[in-house]
Amino acid sequence: MYVRALPTTDVNRNTEWFTYPGVWTTYILILFFSWLLVLSVFHCSPGIAWTIVHLAHFTVTYHSFHWKKGTPFGDDQGIYNRLTWWEQIDNGKQLTRNRKFLTVVPVVLYLIASHTTDYQHPMLFLNTLAVFVMVVAKFPHMHKVRIFGINGDQ
Amino acid sequence: MITIPYLTAVSTYFSYGLLFAFGQLRDFFRRFIDWWLTSNLHGYAPICLGHEDFYIRRLYHRIQDCFERPISSAPDAWFDVVERYSNDNNKTFKRTTKTSRCLNLGSYNYLGFGSFDEYCTPRVIESLKKFSASTCSSRVDAGTTSVHAELEECVTRFVGKPAAVVFGMGYATNSAIIPVLIGKGGLIISDSLNHSSIVNGARGSGATIRVFQHNTPSHLERVLREQIAEGQPRTHRPWKKIIVVVEGIYSMEGEICHLPEVVAICKKYKAYVYLDEAHSIGAIGKTGKGICELLGVDTADVDVMMGTFTKSFGSCGGYIAGSKELVQYLKHQCPAHLYATSIPTPSAQQIISAIKVILGEDGSNRGAQKLARIRENSNFFRAELQKMGFEVLGDNDSPVMPIMLYNPAKIPAFSRECLRQKVAVVVVGFPATPLLLARARICISASHSREDLIRALKVISKVGDLSGIKYFPAEPKKIEQTKNDIKLD
Repeated sequence: MYVRALPTTDVNRNTEWFTYPGVWTTYILILFFSWLLVLSVFHCSPGIAWTIVHLAHFTVTYHSFHWKKGTPFGDDQGIYNRLTWWEQIDNGKQLTRNRKFLTVVPVVLYLIASHTTDYQHPMLFLNTLAVFVMVVAKFPHMHKVRIFGINGDQ
Repeated sequence: MITIPYLTAVSTYFSYGLLFAFGQLRDFFRRFIDWWLTSNLHGYAPICLGHEDFYIRRLYHRIQDCFERPISSAPDAWFDVVERYSNDNNKTFKRTTKTSRCLNLGSYNYLGFGSFDEYCTPRVIESLKKFSASTCSSRVDAGTTSVHAELEECVTRFVGKPAAVVFGMGYATNSAIIPVLIGKGGLIISDSLNHSSIVNGARGSGATIRVFQHNTPSHLERVLREQIAEGQPRTHRPWKKIIVVVEGIYSMEGEICHLPEVVAICKKYKAYVYLDEAHSIGAIGKTGKGICELLGVDTADVDVMMGTFTKSFGSCGGYIAGSKELVQYLKHQCPAHLYATSIPTPSAQQIISAIKVILGEDGSNRGAQKLARIRENSNFFRAELQKMGFEVLGDNDSPVMPIMLYNPAKIPAFSRECLRQKVAVVVVGFPATPLLLARARICISASHSREDLIRALKVISKVGDLSGIKYFPAEPKKIEQTKNDIKLD
């Protein structure tokens, strides 16, 4: 019932909330409840609902993890202004538990979405594109890489 | 070590996610609406880069009425809070002329020097008449009066170090001293929950900063060993200097630092210890001399002792106490001493008088009474709150006790409802605290009487029931136990 929260050594207030207990569960629960919401609002089949959840998840997480740079407050005087959220977490250390979890979630969503739609076109194409972009963006080699200067600094 | 109920953690993340999502939605629509509006600032760079004002605009402004409430009397045990109202959804406030008399649980008035004192205030008024309100000069030009010299001598006697230097502002003491003590090529190891003045000073110094887990001497040792072995980044040369920065009482946790272990580790690895006693000087220890007295650490082992006069002494300013050579060096190098205006003479007199009262040199035992009272009050209040089922942080004897709230909606709920019941509390949320761990911070004073504390406990219990923050099971009342005993007999 109770969990113990050890204070972290992460000074970046934008990312240290991800190290406390309960984040992973909240993430998974939000995905599950949004699937139920989509099902009840759109009256579609479960497969289409999972596809919608997967694509919405792709849009939201790509925008907030890999597009938006900096932090939503000014206290840290802009030292993270060139880094996206994904590059900031765990102080830039690659292949930590958090990063592995966040890489696995879109893949699992993709598998569920493709399975429940019976691998039909055009959902399969869209889902594959989404998961491809998501996973490549999270590679350790892509740390601080800006392809063709997209989302680079002025 | 904070124990959170799992459901509360999940719901807190969800609440913040919802607030964040709504903020983004409103920003999205605002961008469309503003596109149509013309602006006469075409060609100028934006004031805020990216979304660095997102938190302030979309989350902080919603509950802005819980912070920065103006008061119109001295910060005594009871004070007058000015009532405000807002016509544009908490963006701007208008003050009214009405005030409400509330119980003060937010001021750092640990020993009760925040209001009229029979020994200090007449002397301060006399000093104001003689020396006037400001010295109008920096210390090296014409800003050192006899009172300043007496103050520095008083501080050395109180703290137990050979020499001391006093500055006009507590925050500026940290942020101006640390860059003078260490520079590029040095290493600062600071506790992860250090105050922002220390963080500012450390960032301004140009030294490499490493952080160790809050109040965990074993992790400090691990970080020290790792850093000494690696040396400076890139060149791997040995560090020029290593300073470990810790605080006496951490103001957001109410925890007392494990100073003996930290000092032992620093001695072993030849690092300097910088102790920030902002909240602990004058408030803990048998005669109020701070954490060194409480934990039995020899003051000669702590290299730099820093403190502020704003909490227990009811004044302003900060001091650095250390060896004669250190203080001599600081007086020649520190910009806060060379260029900043010196501490106003009446404030200096207030500190001298407060120190005299605490040490008993004014001829009465009011100092010892105040210290005993604050210890009693803190322990009583903390024990009662824990019995009611609140999650209260902080060690015994510490006058700072945060009550955990967690959910972002409970922050304004607790604050506003307490104000309605005439109890003024300070609530703190993200980003001053970690995202999950929002809290209401109670500061107990020696000028709180037992009735004040009981009244506060009743109000906090009622508001706690309303907002659902009694996360631990409450202890059963003793009366029922005695009834059962009688029945058995």
